[in-house]
Amino acid sequence: MVKVPVYLEVAQWALLLGLGFLVVIMYRQLGRVFGSKPEFEHGPAIGSQAPGFEYLRVSDRSVQLAEPGDGQPILLAFVNPTCQACGKLVAAFTRAHAAGDLDSVRVLLLISDPLNYLPISAAFRETPLEIGQVVARTTINAYQASATPLAVSVDSDGVIRKTGPAAEVSDVRAFVQACLLVPPDKELAIVPASHAD
Amino acid sequence: MNQTAAAAKACVAVILLVAGGAKLADLSGFSATLRLFLPRKTPHLAIRGSAVGVVAAELVLGGASLCWPGGRWLNPVILALTCAFVIVTAAGFAIFRGRSCRCFGALSSKKFDLLSIARSGVLVVAAGLATGRLGPTAALSDLDSALLAMASALLVLATFTAVRALDASATNLGRT
Repeated sequence: MVKVPVYLEVAQWALLLGLGFLVVIMYRQLGRVFGSKPEFEHGPAIGSQAPGFEYLRVSDRSVQLAEPGDGQPILLAFVNPTCQACGKLVAAFTRAHAAGDLDSVRVLLLISDPLNYLPISAAFRETPLEIGQVVARTTINAYQASATPLAVSVDSDGVIRKTGPAAEVSDVRAFVQACLLVPPDKELAIVPASHAD
Repeated sequence: MNQTAAAAKACVAVILLVAGGAKLADLSGFSATLRLFLPRKTPHLAIRGSAVGVVAAELVLGGASLCWPGGRWLNPVILALTCAFVIVTAAGFAIFRGRSCRCFGALSSKKFDLLSIARSGVLVVAAGLATGRLGPTAALSDLDSALLAMASALLVLATFTAVRALDASATNLGRT
């Protein structure tokens, strides 16, 4: 039988303990990652009153006041030209707008990036929808828009009905339905992407 | 053979390897900690150089101590290094209490506190125990040393990867 030096055995145990320590730490961190709320759940609480806010309207560089609950449903989208998924959302909104599906809903695209970033994204350049720049950081905090894209459906009474990410036409459909208090099982015709292009 | 000395020597060596690998993966974080202890006008290059020096010292001493236990000259050097850790943590506790020491990169968020001094003290005790005579059974063959060297390299690599992964996931969790 081969005799293994005692020191070698001890050293191997120490190395094994070191590796075990690493595995435990990694496992704990994995638990934190999987146990955390996904970013798309960081929006405001559903059923709460949507706060009013000021924004800089990009088209004429004037400061406007948005007052959810003024009788018109509003669909807010926190997006940024530097965010790739936001471009998809804005394009989906544009297609829905072209199909006339947003006629009864006011859509406001809110950015926090500098205005000179807007030309970066074709979707932002080409959309006819209203784009506003958030004036105060408190607006972002009030809507808990910690990550973009974040869409927020607000009904005509100013109550938040749905929040979350949106990147496809089907997502836009769901948000519009929430604004209009249309049950999710009822169809709202929005032209698919392939037809609009 | 003094088994306590062998165990202490191996444990201190593994801790040095893990600490070195973790600091290597978070060199900028460790440099920021080091900056606290250096004069304000110290150039960035000197700070980064010092950080690399500390990391290299930990890796080389840890690796050499683990793979070549017969080298008795290493023991006082490692003992001196662990004593330096105690001095640094005590100074950190006195001047920068509550600040993160980044001693193990993202593996640990331990701060300069009394517990950190106690931990460094335990390391000094272990390094002291490791200076004991190991006896002839500690004389490893070249193959054994090579095996331990490879395992050490793997441990450092695993630590490096773990720190980078933890750092990335922590950044993602805290993104605002």
